Amino acid sequence: MSVDIKTLVKDEAAAWSGVAPPNAVSEELAAGFTSLITGLTALRGQLAFEDEPSSFEAALQATKEPSP
Amino acid sequence: MNIAVKHASALTALSLTEAADAVAKGETTAVELTRAALDAIKAGDERVNAFIWLEGDQALETAAVLDKVPMSQRGKLHGVPLAHKDMYYKAGKLSTCGSKIRAAFRPGYTATVIERLEAQGSFSLGGLNMAEFAQNATGHNQHYGHCHNPWGLDYCPGGSSSGSGAAVAARFVYAALGSDTGGSIRLPASLCGVTGIKGTQTRVSRHGVMPLSFSADNVGPLARSAKDCARIMTVIAGHDPKDATSSKEPVPDYEASLDGELKGIKVGVPRNYFLDDAAPEVVAAFEAMLEVLKGRGATLVPVTIPHMDAVATYGGVVSRVEGATIHAEWMRQRAQDYAVHLNSRLYASLGIPAVAYVEALSRRGPILKEIAAAVFTEVDVFVAPTIRCKAPTLLSTDVDAGTPGALDAFNMLSLNTRPINYMGLPSVSAPCGLDSNGMPIGFQVQARPFGEGKALKVADAFQRDTRFHRERPPGFPA
Repeated sequence: MSVDIKTLVKDEAAAWSGVAPPNAVSEELAAGFTSLITGLTALRGQLAFEDEPSSFEAALQATKEPSP
Repeated sequence: MNIAVKHASALTALSLTEAADAVAKGETTAVELTRAALDAIKAGDERVNAFIWLEGDQALETAAVLDKVPMSQRGKLHGVPLAHKDMYYKAGKLSTCGSKIRAAFRPGYTATVIERLEAQGSFSLGGLNMAEFAQNATGHNQHYGHCHNPWGLDYCPGGSSSGSGAAVAARFVYAALGSDTGGSIRLPASLCGVTGIKGTQTRVSRHGVMPLSFSADNVGPLARSAKDCARIMTVIAGHDPKDATSSKEPVPDYEASLDGELKGIKVGVPRNYFLDDAAPEVVAAFEAMLEVLKGRGATLVPVTIPHMDAVATYGGVVSRVEGATIHAEWMRQRAQDYAVHLNSRLYASLGIPAVAYVEALSRRGPILKEIAAAVFTEVDVFVAPTIRCKAPTLLSTDVDAGTPGALDAFNMLSLNTRPINYMGLPSVSAPCGLDSNGMPIGFQVQARPFGEGKALKVADAFQRDTRFHRERPPGFPA
């Protein structure tokens, strides 16, 4: 990956949330996002145009245990 | 049951339901149960560190008042001393949330679940140790001292409800509320050899409970047995007008359906994901557990759980982003007041883009439907080891101490639990063995949404033929 994830997270956290890296471990964790990005990349194409977050509660009802 | 000898160890050996039933029959009293619990805590908590704060004298006063209540006016938990993860609000009482930031926090209102437990006659001895703001799977706490596993003091008790698991295992209390966003009830249940349940997402009110991730937080008990958990879930579950996200689905009497009968029950055994790279001792205990279920009449059916890559990836995104959002203000003002393992996680999570978060939320419903169609049309429940590895030590998972490999060991614990939170399914963890270090191994049972009764029924049936849930850590109570 050409982007330095540590720098990217540092810039995002500073620009959007006003938070600086509190320690070296935090930057190590940010660097670990490479695997998260890889995971998300592998899932591209699954999100359907009609999907929207509120469907989860409906899904709980639609898939629930039948009443005895 | 006749408690002929009312000495402390006989009383603390009782399960929650046995203790409540003994009080109901007049075989013991709330004061006797409380004295026994306080004696056990006095003898053992210096080693375990399960309590952040304890109000023994006040508990004895409450117990004395409860003993005067007429039998006809007593509830399902009358006279039973409990204690809860220190994030359940009670007006005017300390609720540290395991943190330095909330070290002196005293909320002005009471959690609905605490009101419901008290309405049935239980009361609390104090606040239990927990991961700082409920955000680690191990039981480390830099502010109040690490909680130790009663089965082996060098080992992780599991988190984030570390004190809840340890206190129940050490026979300090009969049950304790924990909370579960990625496994925080089931992990300490598994590592401490007790039983715990996380209900269907929305099943239990979260009013008055410290938030971590509003999409994935769940309230539930840790106790000695599935029967104990069933009684508590019957008390605490159900719609709460103060929590608009709580479900209006009717609450059955979970305890009434526990009959030990598994004939006609199909138990799914995952072919994929949940046993990947699992420790051989964990696999052996899991397979032995399956034989017990089979012996009870269950039919074992291999199942493939679809979309596990997506579930594992998205599950982490949702809770991390929501947690980072809740803590953003304190991260701006007081980042150094958090432990390193926590402020580092919160900081990094601020870098996850909104589109990834919304994608994760958007896929949750469709994925649940596809899992239900693929799995729950074939089986009633599916089972898995709660944790794939053997119990790790506190040292090997101590990120703040800079232990090499600690981050990986830290993250390994919740591989099998966090996906269940994303799916929103009810899940019960129960003990099914001991590893070669003498540390507990657990398994978890998942059912359809609002199928808590079925998951509890399977765990209870297993416990009718085994004694793992009855075993006590050596030296507890002293």
